[in-house]
Amino acid sequence: MLKLPCPNCGSEVVFRSPALPVRVCDYCQSTLVRSDEGVREIGKAAALPFDVSPIRIGTRGRFEGQPFEVIGRVRWGWTDGSWNEWLLLFGDGRHAWLGEAMGQFMLLFERETRPLRARAVRSLIAGETVPVGTKAQIDGEVLTVADVRDATCIAAEGELPFAAPNDWTVLSVDFRSASGRCASLQRDEDGAHFYDGRYVTLAELAPSNLRPIEGWRMPAYG
Amino acid sequence: MVEGGNGAPAAAAVEALNCPSCGGTIELKAAGYTVTVVCQYCSSVLDVANPDVRIITEYHEAAASLEIPLGSRGTLDGIEWEAIGYMARSENGSYPWEEYLLFNPYHGYRWLVTDGRGWSFGEMLTRTPKWEPPSHLAVDNKPYTAFFADTPAQVDYVLGEFYWRVAVGEEVVGSTYVRPGWMLSREANGSEINWTLLRLLEPGEMEAAFGVDEPPRSSPPLPHQPSPYHGSIGKVAALGFGAIGLLVILFIIFSGGGTLLREEMTLPQNGQFQSATFGPVTLDDAYQAVSIQARAPALDNAWVDLDYALVNRATQVSYQAYGLAERYSGRDSEGSWTEGDRGSSIKMATVPAGTYDLVVEAAATRWKTGSTASRSGGSPPETGPIEVEIVAGTGKSFFSNVVLAAFLILIPLIFMFFRHAAFETARVAESDFAATGEDDEEDDE
Repeated sequence: MLKLPCPNCGSEVVFRSPALPVRVCDYCQSTLVRSDEGVREIGKAAALPFDVSPIRIGTRGRFEGQPFEVIGRVRWGWTDGSWNEWLLLFGDGRHAWLGEAMGQFMLLFERETRPLRARAVRSLIAGETVPVGTKAQIDGEVLTVADVRDATCIAAEGELPFAAPNDWTVLSVDFRSASGRCASLQRDEDGAHFYDGRYVTLAELAPSNLRPIEGWRMPAYG
Repeated sequence: MVEGGNGAPAAAAVEALNCPSCGGTIELKAAGYTVTVVCQYCSSVLDVANPDVRIITEYHEAAASLEIPLGSRGTLDGIEWEAIGYMARSENGSYPWEEYLLFNPYHGYRWLVTDGRGWSFGEMLTRTPKWEPPSHLAVDNKPYTAFFADTPAQVDYVLGEFYWRVAVGEEVVGSTYVRPGWMLSREANGSEINWTLLRLLEPGEMEAAFGVDEPPRSSPPLPHQPSPYHGSIGKVAALGFGAIGLLVILFIIFSGGGTLLREEMTLPQNGQFQSATFGPVTLDDAYQAVSIQARAPALDNAWVDLDYALVNRATQVSYQAYGLAERYSGRDSEGSWTEGDRGSSIKMATVPAGTYDLVVEAAATRWKTGSTASRSGGSPPETGPIEVEIVAGTGKSFFSNVVLAAFLILIPLIFMFFRHAAFETARVAESDFAATGEDDEEDDE
């Protein structure tokens, strides 16, 4: 764990994992990158627009027996809406993303793209596009392309594995299976990243330290 | 505004914005999710996907008044929901129905759907129902039967806020699958397929949750309305068949009719066994109970031992039983007393068909008055021979009565079955998959 003063405003910022080199200052929204030479400011994150997500930085829960804490978030927008991707840091050091859209949640781990053989995935990695409905067999399970859209980073907070500058635009392709599995491929000019997981309910994550929302009773899990 | 730090006070639940058309204040209930909002003052359709609120369609008309005013809250399945959106929908203008979008920031979205005949409470599925040929879909291993196929569903009117870009005139293709009490709805447009699982709310649930006056269940039934006879048929059937089973058991135990033979034996009261063979006794059923009654009307302070054997004339297989009739009487300090029974009744439960002889070996023995075990008061001994009547019978003649009783028991069941069938016929007649589907053929583009 690394604690440093923000080069912009001087308030303390914490880097918990070398795998998560990017940090948005909680106070001045400067985007900081940690390297061997120290911490460098690379820009300013936009203010997060108001939303009523029940998740916040510091929310804790468990997924398949492993405890996690929410330590970061990227908010993405597209022409017809926006969604949150919350970064989860697990007790064993792994991290995952909790996607939150339309009141539903999906929990995804990044996977290496190299071993993925499905033609649709390979085409996307190669820079082509595929229509909605395209099938891809991954680990023996058929996934279907549910949507293909350009997504733009609206804002970010907390710790992140990558810098998420405003107006960073990616091609975002979502896959779904009949069983509730889901996957997402995000591609920009620097390459493609593939995330694989499944739909989850808040109840099964038994979260604590949810965000209190005025006028609504916070459910008590676990 | 950045929120989300630990220890932050409860975040406001709504975001206020001004309608660019009429200037009215709109409170977004699902800020961050909502894409389209319809102004409650002027009905203009606004795009709030981006920070700059844009007018999609401008109107200057009052909003419709709704059965559940938007902003109302109600509790269903233990969770409080707020009605935030409303859509009136139809199949090309006919068969209208209404949908309310419910929201709870901790639990996401749900739907309330009604066509005026009942309310259903729905949740969008994150998995796809499994197709089980030839005609079923399965969700959580429960089968759903196809009911409506590929019907166009259009949006006729919207109010409130939605998490997607909703527009009047927007059309999807819907299909419906049902099981009693539940409906599975599939909606597809060019690029998306959504499945929603809906539960038919019990009478009273909507009244309790949202104070809505519920329509009585009417005819034709809803596609997923459970037959009111379905559950009770099971119970009545269980009761009826249980009663019939009991009747048959009682019949086997107690039936004594169907006399096969009636004979008399004369027994000296000396303890000596006399043998007599009666017959033939013809048994027609594959298996039947045979009862044998012995009665000695003059028996007093004596007993009769009876060894019966039904011997099959063809196979010599014999079925044996033992009977005892005994009768004692006397007088003691409390007065006169009697004990025992002058008759004996025995039963052979399952005797196969065949022609039998009934061999009876019987002995009458007087109680030795004055012996150590005697209870006798010393009435004068009847020493002469006594008459014993032997009657053998089967339950056969009574069985027609059992059949009649069973029929009487089954009448309400048969009645209920026909009512159930009539209900199901009326329910399924609405379906695109109805066997006689000439009335409801939709124009599937």
